[in-house]
Amino acid sequence: MDLLDTYISEVGKHLPAKQRPDIEAEIRSAITDMLEDKSQKAGSPVDEAMTLDVLQAYGEPEKVASTYLPEQYVIGPRLFSAFKTTLQIILPILGLLALIGFAISFSRLELNAANIIELIIESLAGYLVSVVQTLGGLVVVFYILQIAAPNLETKSTQWDARSLLKISPPDRIFPSGPVWEIAANMAAIVIFNFFPQIIGLAYRSGSGWVTTPILSETFYRYLPALNLLWVMAILLNVFLLRRGQWQTGTRWLSLGLRLVSVGILAAMVAGPSLIALNAEALSQILQKQTAETLTGLLEWIVRLNLIIILITSLVDAVKQALRLFAGVKPAVIVSLK
Amino acid sequence: MDTQAQYDNVMLELRRGVIVLAVLSQLEHEQYGYSLMKSLIEQGLNVDQGTLYPLLRRLESQGLLKSQWKVEADRPRRYYSISDQGQSLLPRLKLEWENLVKTLAGLIR
Repeated sequence: MDLLDTYISEVGKHLPAKQRPDIEAEIRSAITDMLEDKSQKAGSPVDEAMTLDVLQAYGEPEKVASTYLPEQYVIGPRLFSAFKTTLQIILPILGLLALIGFAISFSRLELNAANIIELIIESLAGYLVSVVQTLGGLVVVFYILQIAAPNLETKSTQWDARSLLKISPPDRIFPSGPVWEIAANMAAIVIFNFFPQIIGLAYRSGSGWVTTPILSETFYRYLPALNLLWVMAILLNVFLLRRGQWQTGTRWLSLGLRLVSVGILAAMVAGPSLIALNAEALSQILQKQTAETLTGLLEWIVRLNLIIILITSLVDAVKQALRLFAGVKPAVIVSLK
Repeated sequence: MDTQAQYDNVMLELRRGVIVLAVLSQLEHEQYGYSLMKSLIEQGLNVDQGTLYPLLRRLESQGLLKSQWKVEADRPRRYYSISDQGQSLLPRLKLEWENLVKTLAGLIR
């Protein structure tokens, strides 16, 4: 293989397979032309030094290949804002969970400088690992969105400002809303189905870390219905992204999903506890009275939250139904968060 | 970024803007890439292969140019020429360019 072949092959390594033969042939032709030109001017046949000069002038193979490729993003400019918002919400939550885990471990610690320093380092390391994992997971989710909804990157060239007159403000869809909904629902599917161990309290016990699950078996009985709801919410939001505005069909689907979520929430409120943590389990790491107070408080907080979400969802559903029947369009995107 | 680098950067942007019109105007008769590059340079428009060849492909994919491979004395070369669509666009582009030059001449005077 001569120098030119080697160079072409190096450029080809960075080109998409479909376009590679054609671009390689064109680059070979261009370099051969340059060599012929140089040879004529020098009055001598092409030699290795001449070839090296021309290849040097043509440029570094990877850089040459990049001029043929469109700009590519893992997360493009239009999705990046939603990505940043998601991170701004999730990172403090992770921080709070890490702090709770740290506080529980600290309360059980034999107080001396070495133990405290070790606990701080381990807690920080644990937090950093969970941040990196979350960041990686979010990048994957947004990358999938980037591929699945490429039209987010380009606006219609035939856009007419008068089309704004036909869209009442509540109909308009801003991409960040559905994108956030898709990301949140995808994250819920992935976490609850594949990494349920994440939803737990981590604390240090003896020489190692122990994770206690927070959610009970009862919660996971609702998972098939929740999965269906999350998948439908993702599909609805993908459709909304593509359409760019609410339509009658999507409003009906949104209302249906909202009613299903109300049903599931009502069953959760009326049914057995969704919390796995109980005073008996916690008393192994906390004082009995503290454990009882904490579990009672947790149970109360969860029920209160469910009731608030249930009432909000119900009010939203009624508003959507009234507006739908009255011809006034609501601007609510469904999800069960 | 030093002044020279800023100058180079702005010049690159300026050249990128005008090179499409220059290429379309030179391809009423078909040419292969290297001959076009030499012709542009000889006429005073410096352009490198890293800009020109990808641009030719992009203009072809936009339907403004057409191309065909020809083999002459065992040398395969891709010849580009302006398409019908490019031909119909070119006069408007030329007119727009002349207006732009007049406007800018007034602005920077």
